[in-house]
Amino acid sequence: MPPFVAEVAQLVLNGIMAGTILAVPAIGLTAIYAVLRFPNFALASHATVGAFAGYVANVQFGLPIVPSVMCAFLAAGLAGVVSDEYVLKPFRAAGFITTAIASIALTIGIENLIRFGFGNELRGYDLPLMRDWRFWGLRVGPQQVQNLGIAAVAMALLFAFLAFTRTGKAMRAVADNPMLAAIKGINADVVARLVSFVGMGLAGLGGMLIGLDTTIDPLTGFRAILNVFAAAVVGGLGSIPGAVIGALTVGIGEELCLLFLSPDYRSAVGFTAILLVLTLRPRGILGARAY
Amino acid sequence: MGLLTVQGVVAGYSAADEILKGVDFTVDRGEMVAVIGPNGAGKSTLLKTIAGLLKPSRGSVTLKDAPIHGHPPREICRLGLAYVPQEHNVFPTMTVRENLEMGGYVDTKNVKSRIERVFERFPMLAQKRRLAARGLSGGERQILAMAMALMVEPTVMLLDEPSAGLSPIAAERLFESVVAINREGVSIAMVEQNAREALAIAGRAYILVDGRNHRTGDAKALAADPDIRRIFLGG
Repeated sequence: MPPFVAEVAQLVLNGIMAGTILAVPAIGLTAIYAVLRFPNFALASHATVGAFAGYVANVQFGLPIVPSVMCAFLAAGLAGVVSDEYVLKPFRAAGFITTAIASIALTIGIENLIRFGFGNELRGYDLPLMRDWRFWGLRVGPQQVQNLGIAAVAMALLFAFLAFTRTGKAMRAVADNPMLAAIKGINADVVARLVSFVGMGLAGLGGMLIGLDTTIDPLTGFRAILNVFAAAVVGGLGSIPGAVIGALTVGIGEELCLLFLSPDYRSAVGFTAILLVLTLRPRGILGARAY
Repeated sequence: MGLLTVQGVVAGYSAADEILKGVDFTVDRGEMVAVIGPNGAGKSTLLKTIAGLLKPSRGSVTLKDAPIHGHPPREICRLGLAYVPQEHNVFPTMTVRENLEMGGYVDTKNVKSRIERVFERFPMLAQKRRLAARGLSGGERQILAMAMALMVEPTVMLLDEPSAGLSPIAAERLFESVVAINREGVSIAMVEQNAREALAIAGRAYILVDGRNHRTGDAKALAADPDIRRIFLGG
C-alpha cells in the first residue's frame, strides 16, 4: 500500500474506533433529549461515574473488563435515575434552558464528589499488555478492538430493545409524541426514569471505554462532552442512528484533520462540525427525532 | 344516567381562562352524538376534559356511573374510553403496525389478534403495515388514528374533527368508517366542523356556543331547524 494511502487508511481506522466509542454516550445524550426534551450536560459526570465504577470493579475487585463495563453501565444508570428524579425533574417545569443549566451545575457537583472520593490523579485499568495487530500495513490494538466490540454490542442491544420490545417502543412513542403517548396510556414518568437509566448507563459505559483507551480522572467525562454533544448535534439531536453517524463523522474527522493540522487543533473538529451542521443543515444529518 | 355523562363542567387551560362554562353532555350506549358550534365554543375542550387531558374546576364526568374527572388519561383509556385528537394523532416515525401496538398499549392481551382484526377492517393499513406513519396521506392517517383507538376495544370513542383537512372523498370514506364502527356498538361522540355531515350521521347533537349548551336534540330535527340551518349550516 503506498505510504499516503496507508496513512489515510490508518487514520480512518483510528477514527472508526474512536467514533464507535463516542457513539455510545452520544446515543445516551440524544435518547435523553428525545424523551425529556433538554440537553442533559450531566452526562459528562455520569460518564466519569461509569469510568470510576468500572475502575473499582476492575482494579479493586479484580473483575475482567466485560463485567466491569456492565458495572459501569449499572452504576451510571442508577446515578442517572437518582440525579434526574431528585435534582433535574423539579426544574423541568421551568423550561429546557433552566433544566440544561441545572444539569451543568449537577455535573460539576458529581465531578467534585468523585474528586473527593478518588482524588485528582490519573488512574489506569488493569489491562494485560498486548502487542498491536498488524495487517496490510495498518496497526490496531487488541484492546481497541475489544472496545469497538463492546460498543457495537451495546448499540445493537439498544437498537433491538427499541425496535422489538414493548417498553422500547413506548420510549420511542413518548419521544415521537408525548401527548398522544399519555392518551394511549403510556406512563411518561416511568419512561423518563427508564431513559435516564439507559442514557446515563450508556454514558457510563462510554466513559469507561474512553478510559480503557487512555486513563481516567474526575474530568474524563468533562473532556469528552464537547465531542459527545457535537456527535449528537451533527447526526440530528434526538435521532439515535444520527448519533452513530455523527460520532463516526466527528471521530473520523478528528483523525483525518491530522493530515493537515497539528494534533493540538484536533478538538476544533468538534466545534467546526457543529458550526457547519448548524449553518448548512440545522436539524442535523438525519434530522431530529428520527429513530 | 347515560353511558358517559358530563354535568355542569367548567374547564379551560388555566383558572383565568375558562372555556367550558357549565356544560352538560351525555352519550348513551350505542349512540352517535355530534357536537357542533362556532370556533372557540369549547367543542374540543369538552373532549379533552372527558379524556382527562384537562381537569375540570367544577362539575363531573362519569363513565358507566363511575366518576373519571381528574383521572389521568391512561386510567381513562383503560376504562374503555378512546380519544382521537384532531392533530398529531399518530406516532410519525413509527410504522403503522407499531402505531397500532401503541394504540393498544394498556391491554397486553391478544395484541396480535386485535391487530389482525384492525387489518381486516382496514386493508389499506395491512398493506402499509411496515410504512412509517409520516408517509401516509391525511385521510390514511385519520384512519390509522381511529384504528389505534379501536385497539383498546372501546365502549366510547371521542373523535375530534376527524374530517379536518381531508378531501371530500377522503372525508366521505372516513364518515363511512365512523358509521360502521358505531353500528358495531361503539358509542361515539364526534366534534365536527362539517356540521351538515355530522348531523346527517349522528342520532343526537349538541350545539355549543361560548362554552355553554345552546341547543340539544335529535340530529335530523336540528338539521331541519331553519334557525340552526341559517346560523350553523350556512343557510
